Amino acid sequence: MSLNQSRMGLCALLMAVLFTTAAVSIDYSSSLKAGKAELQSAGPLAFGPDGVLFVGDSMGAAIFALATEDTVSSSPGRIDISGINEKVAALLGTSADQILINDMAVNPASKRVYLSVSRGRGPDATPLILRVDASGKLEEFSLENVKHARVTLPNAPDPEAKNRRGQSLRLEAITDLAFVDDRVFIAGLSNEEFASKLHSIPFPFDKAGSGASVEIYHGAHGRFETNAPVRTFVSYEIENEPYILAAYTCTPLVKFPVSSLTAGAKVMGTTIAELGNRNRPLDMIVYEKDGSQFILMNNSSRGVMKITAEGLDSYEAITERTDIRGVPYETIDHLKGVQQLDRLDETSALILVSTDSGSLDLKTIALP
Amino acid sequence: MGAGILALTLLSASGLPNTIAIRLENPQSTHPLFKVVGWDQIGKISTQATHFGTDQWHTLFAVYVDSGSLDDALPPILGSYRIEGDALVFQPRFPLQPGLRYRAVFTSASEPITFRFDIPESEAIVSTTVEHVYPSTNRLPENQLKFYLHFSAPMSRGEAYSRIHLLDERGDPVDFPFLELDEELWDREGKRLTLLFDPGRIKRGLVPYEEVGPSIKEGETYALVIDRDWRDARGKSLKEDFKKVFSVVAADRETPDPESWLLTAPQAGSVQPLSVEFPEPLDHGLLMRLLEVMDTQGNFVEGSIQVDRNETRWGFTPQQPWRAGDYSLSVDTTLEDLAGNRINRPFEVDVFERVEERITTTTVSLPFRIFPR
Repeated sequence: MSLNQSRMGLCALLMAVLFTTAAVSIDYSSSLKAGKAELQSAGPLAFGPDGVLFVGDSMGAAIFALATEDTVSSSPGRIDISGINEKVAALLGTSADQILINDMAVNPASKRVYLSVSRGRGPDATPLILRVDASGKLEEFSLENVKHARVTLPNAPDPEAKNRRGQSLRLEAITDLAFVDDRVFIAGLSNEEFASKLHSIPFPFDKAGSGASVEIYHGAHGRFETNAPVRTFVSYEIENEPYILAAYTCTPLVKFPVSSLTAGAKVMGTTIAELGNRNRPLDMIVYEKDGSQFILMNNSSRGVMKITAEGLDSYEAITERTDIRGVPYETIDHLKGVQQLDRLDETSALILVSTDSGSLDLKTIALP
Repeated sequence: MGAGILALTLLSASGLPNTIAIRLENPQSTHPLFKVVGWDQIGKISTQATHFGTDQWHTLFAVYVDSGSLDDALPPILGSYRIEGDALVFQPRFPLQPGLRYRAVFTSASEPITFRFDIPESEAIVSTTVEHVYPSTNRLPENQLKFYLHFSAPMSRGEAYSRIHLLDERGDPVDFPFLELDEELWDREGKRLTLLFDPGRIKRGLVPYEEVGPSIKEGETYALVIDRDWRDARGKSLKEDFKKVFSVVAADRETPDPESWLLTAPQAGSVQPLSVEFPEPLDHGLLMRLLEVMDTQGNFVEGSIQVDRNETRWGFTPQQPWRAGDYSLSVDTTLEDLAGNRINRPFEVDVFERVEERITTTTVSLPFRIFPR
């Protein structure tokens, strides 16, 4: 142990004594360097510690970590903004049919909502990060001079390098990302081969060891086994061990321990629910209510589902033909058209919901 | 410093009313400018203005998208402010949108001054078409995995699934045949969309497959219809509808076997293509990327690829004339057929019936020889 390490150790010990409840933490944002964050697209969002915002950039085949330095709750409270798509368009000087709100994430530190947005709908659209708080004030989170870090997706096609014949049609769409256990997990889907890749990249990005990719499989009834792309996922602890709960593009909800996701591993998710046909799972959050844990999931056509998270460790894998066997769930009937979902605080969630008139509203709802 | 001090400055102004006007310069360029001119108080704020925040500028001068609904809740558009000579200048962050009206409001101590500007519609003509849909064949297996839609120009995102329809023989739409992803699978140029059939309706044993069956059924005929209302990246609709009619044959659960491919090599000295014929159509996107010609030293041979005969033939035309000697065709084993069966792994492995093969992304090598003339 070097002197520096000794000092750090002593310092950590003192910190532990002073703040007996707080674990010694890494200063995540110190690894980020100020400058222009050159996003080529702004897709899925996820918050890490210390107000660090992770942004999936499918076009750039990269993940950005941005220091929002937004760690104090400024204007807490309900966030209810009707026609957020029209307001975003107005801010960007255009009409609602010329923008896309790609994802939404609540900064757990400040309770501000961050939106990844495209201005324009063609390949030359400008990516932006916007944020809004309970006062309704919508503003740009500037990428011009922000502390940030960028990491390329493991094994991703280099966006600059065309192949030897001048084509560069292959792209990996990032469908979801999350920060779990000091790693950023990224689900990606290629626009060519039907490959399932779940990437994990240690954060800070400059830490030794590059990212790893694992192939995720799904076995139906223990018999037909496919490479199964993950559409959306959330992390969850079972007896202090982090797990990933993932919804495949082919609809089953599965779990696998984070510890199984090592480089080159072949990971088979354990099916805990099949969520029915003609349906796409969109987002998931984990929360606690009345001493029990639940998962809330919005779907493309089957509304919002509340799934009991208790005893997921002991659920037997589904191995027979079924629709609603597996973990119990209920459908929250009054929630329709929920496109995005994130947890706002201990008792409420934020949803981005499409209305019959075509506008998108941000709404705060009580966790059911 | 707040807006209060600014207001005070304005209130202290005296004299005859000025003719204040708002001009829009370079409206159709990438750097349009809104200018307030004729305001005789501008000199008084020029020093303070260097410290103004966005909110303070907005109390003085703001530009809005004018939706006509008088919705005060819409925020002013993003941009930067400066004082340039006798003019107060606002430069929007983005170019103005053709076809929209903008409202510029200058708020002095007396009446707000409002000017409206209409940006003419774009004169771009409707010209974008669907150039081709792969697979080219009109006989698809029941477990067909995807289509590639090629457009003649970059397209607009966010509306793909409402513009693509699969109709059965009666002309009725098939419900939810495709995997509808928010992250539409475009290439970087926005000219090729990858459209996946719902894998839950391909994979045996899953609820969607068991309950509603495959999206397309053996023995039936369907039409893939792309409607012309789909907008290109300029916001213009397609020139015309596109329709691809196809019939469905039995599901294909066999892996492609390179040993069954027929290689026809040209003679040395020519620039005729190497021809590789397959007994079944293979995935167009992957054929353009996963086959390579190598020399005996393991170097890539430079050349161009042609895929034709409904993706059952791959041709390679070298840049330089062929030299006599041994070569090989290197095939990445992730190459798929139309049903997503890879060379080293079928789309779905029936683990009851076969010993699972090791999953790798290696290549197989098919040797061939170029003979002297």
